[in-house]
Amino acid sequence: QPPRSCEDYWGEWKHCRGLRHAFHHYYAHGELPDCGRWREDYEACRAWERDRAAAAQVPASLLACPRLCRPGLLGQKPCSRRVWKLRKSPPPDWYLPLD
Amino acid sequence: DPYARLLLEALKQSGCTVFNDRHFSCENCDGCVSGGFDAATSQIVLCQNNIRQQSHMNRVVTHELIHAFDHCRAHVDWFKNVKHLACSEIRAANLSGDCTLMNEIARFKFGLKGHHQTCVRDRAIRSILAVRKVSKETAEKAVNEVFDACFNDLEPFGRIPHSKADAKRAYRDFQNRDRYNANL
Repeated sequence: QPPRSCEDYWGEWKHCRGLRHAFHHYYAHGELPDCGRWREDYEACRAWERDRAAAAQVPASLLACPRLCRPGLLGQKPCSRRVWKLRKSPPPDWYLPLD
Repeated sequence: DPYARLLLEALKQSGCTVFNDRHFSCENCDGCVSGGFDAATSQIVLCQNNIRQQSHMNRVVTHELIHAFDHCRAHVDWFKNVKHLACSEIRAANLSGDCTLMNEIARFKFGLKGHHQTCVRDRAIRSILAVRKVSKETAEKAVNEVFDACFNDLEPFGRIPHSKADAKRAYRDFQNRDRYNANL
């Protein structure tokens, strides 16, 4: 199944096109957002749903979407790994009682 | 608060469940510091004499939980590597709501186009200077060197949450991450 429900892609597209989000994006990044990809993802998701009976594969575009490959969200290595090394297990003293 | 809820869940998933009586401490602090994360004891300190509003409390808790999350998932050398500290401070300023437009206006700092990044940069430098005896130049250099990598590390939110609604969206995505990973 696609990584998100089709309603989620639609919801994200509508949110992306809203004035509030446009303002926040401009404030954070100095430019207006590009929302077209969310709409494309929604259309691809709906197309997959229609063809699902024919055992269609999830479209590669939905799997390759940069948003899904956001560092960290999908267990991929975050950008900050260029700064520090990721742990393989939690800090050993996390649960130790305080003196 | 959805920011804190997501971070607590992310910490738990990373093997660092947070217990209030072990990992939080309310103390009186000097100056205008609002809180801190003590990596030596894995404890978040909240400055009870400097936090007077719930919204401020939410923000401080979120900020410190981001440090706790970084401590849990990475070998952060808090005490000897200024770049490591800078990275976590950039992330905390970026993702905690510290740098919303309203908060900046309340500080009499005005700007719009990309101002969020200016705020993140400035607050990260300020935080480094508050906890380490380094020069302003050293702090600025460290922040500049790691800014791109760390500003774009949005874990565990996956987006810069500008509001509680954004944080709720991020929380929903985080809860669905198993569905995402199944496709990889």
